[in-house]
Amino acid sequence: MASTPSSEVAKQPAAHKLPWSEIIAFAAIAAIVVAGVLAGVLAGASPQGILTNVGFYASIAIIFAILALGFNLQWGYTGLFNAGIAGFYLIGAYTMAIAITAPSPPIVIGGIPVYPGHLGGYSLPLAVGVVLAMLASGIAAAVIALPALRLRADYLAIATLAFASILQIFANNLQSVTGGSIGITGIPKPVEFQSADAPFLNAATIVGIGSLVLLFLLLLLQFMAESPWGRVLRAVREDEEATMALGKNTFNYKLQAFALGGALMGLAGALFAVTLGYVSPSSSFAPAVTFSVWVMVIVGGSGNNRGAIVGGFLIYGLEWLSVQLKDYVPIALAAGFVTIRGLLIVVGFIASISAVVLVLLSRHRPTSAWHRVMQRIQERGLARNGVIGAIALYGLGWVFVLLEQYAPGAIGDTIFYIRLMFIGVLLILLIIYRPEGILREQKRVLR
Amino acid sequence: MASESILRVSAVEKAFGGIQAVDRCSLTVLPRSITGLIGPNGAGKSTLFNIIAGLYRPDGGEIWFDGMRIDGLPPYEIVHLGLTKTWQIPHELRNLTVLENLVLAAKDNAGERLLNLFFRPLEVKRDEKQWRARAREVLKLTQLEGLANEHARTLSGGQKKLLELSRVLMSDPTLVLLDEPVAGVNPALAGSLMDLIEKLRQNGRTFFLIEHDMNVVMNRCDWVIVMHQGRRIAEGRPEAVKADPTVIESYLGG
Repeated sequence: MASTPSSEVAKQPAAHKLPWSEIIAFAAIAAIVVAGVLAGVLAGASPQGILTNVGFYASIAIIFAILALGFNLQWGYTGLFNAGIAGFYLIGAYTMAIAITAPSPPIVIGGIPVYPGHLGGYSLPLAVGVVLAMLASGIAAAVIALPALRLRADYLAIATLAFASILQIFANNLQSVTGGSIGITGIPKPVEFQSADAPFLNAATIVGIGSLVLLFLLLLLQFMAESPWGRVLRAVREDEEATMALGKNTFNYKLQAFALGGALMGLAGALFAVTLGYVSPSSSFAPAVTFSVWVMVIVGGSGNNRGAIVGGFLIYGLEWLSVQLKDYVPIALAAGFVTIRGLLIVVGFIASISAVVLVLLSRHRPTSAWHRVMQRIQERGLARNGVIGAIALYGLGWVFVLLEQYAPGAIGDTIFYIRLMFIGVLLILLIIYRPEGILREQKRVLR
Repeated sequence: MASESILRVSAVEKAFGGIQAVDRCSLTVLPRSITGLIGPNGAGKSTLFNIIAGLYRPDGGEIWFDGMRIDGLPPYEIVHLGLTKTWQIPHELRNLTVLENLVLAAKDNAGERLLNLFFRPLEVKRDEKQWRARAREVLKLTQLEGLANEHARTLSGGQKKLLELSRVLMSDPTLVLLDEPVAGVNPALAGSLMDLIEKLRQNGRTFFLIEHDMNVVMNRCDWVIVMHQGRRIAEGRPEAVKADPTVIESYLGG
């Protein structure tokens, strides 16, 4: 039977190949950190300031990685599309804040209410706050899921999206509980430092605790999701009806995965509250957070826990880097602008001309060896992409020229927004060339 | 009669919009038989199977399996009672391997309960090992062992049919509903597949199958039921059904 060779292939150990996906992923993250550090150095920041900044990147990236792990359990493994990640994140953050802060009564100055106060101020230990945050988000996820999971997949997305929006409005307006638009401040740090380098020490503690938590979660999720239980989750993702016909109570599995994912998002929220020291119904819990986490899991590789973490560090890294560059780019551009512009235009011009000439040549000289080379290039679509790329370079150079002439400083101001476009382009390229993400889902070879 | 039968469908109805797919259909299947269900396209055969397996809820009527009323039960409970079905269009779990597809079909695997992972690790390990061994045995039986660690999506149409049957064997059912088991399978393999079904029947299982291949129906089934427009219009031994004028008119053709 034709199947014999394939069984031999399956028995062979994986060839000694370098794990290129992992190498590329870590190189990209390292490049982001190095670029951020360089931007800081060039802008003249102190070494400790730069380290604090990198620490901030690491702590927020860890939080996003935990969000991505939660979403990966829900969507990557079980196929449940959660459009309200920000909502479960918010519940975790506010629960943590209410549980662990000291009482903060309303403030009224000269008859004008300045701060409405908030619920609680229970001064509970941090660990208790984390558990409460996870419970609150997990239970919220289960309650949302109970009716919505019985419906078709789209309705779960609609229900969670609405849920997250409602929560943000509540956080803003339910003043006696949430402190209104000011939110809750004075959230205690894991360790209170008094010295001058407190910001740095704070960042270091958070990164230390966060790394341990993340490592523990990775091991735990890997253990759970790669077990027979996780196999049922993946079966539900593939075909729920068939899984039901194989004797699995699919509703229970969906509920478990969704609630556990929600609890992870609550944990991320709790860490966020401690990291920042305050929570407010700001952009931290906007729908954009949900979208970012989607991108992280898609880019990292859905159905792969390590991929979710890589996606978190990578996509948040781009966001963080754009903030670093915002300070530095205008200075750099002012100095090196003419050179960059000139280089772009010259390179783009030469590249476009030569690409066009090469393509034309290859059409009119049918028999030469050169022709065969060209044909191979053309077959791979390289020539076409080369032409497009060269013309884009050329165009970009002129965009710089025009921007400098008519809107000086515009590039520095817009780089923060250009990052969104950049992430979008990255996502499109990835979906075209590697739809399964950087770290693809592994095939589970059973012995 | 009622006490003898392993499956009794009585006056089951199901409508989709204005179409009465199954119209007060009644039939019985005897234990340890291979019973064929034939009829023209759209007669309601697959719908009836889906109703029996619990995937559709009937609008009316009763279904009894092995002395228990099963209509209204969810599909996973029906599987645990010992009634399994295969699909006309294979429902393989595409991004799981063939072996995973099979192990998943086992009825009681301790590791599929989340808490057992933490509190009964030995049981989880033992069950998983046992079911993997069982899955490999089944794959040998259905000649898929060489593809055990391939993604199910890479199988050919015929191999997917075999995968369906392999999964059924994992749950050790007493009654198997087969929806066109040999459609798209090459003749030699189809023959050995039907031999396998015959062997399993001798081990005490019952098969109820939809099939359009009249050779299979005539040679392998010991009872044939004919459906037309949602109703049972005839039944009997294969030769008798073949000669029945109503069957010839509605299905077999002159």
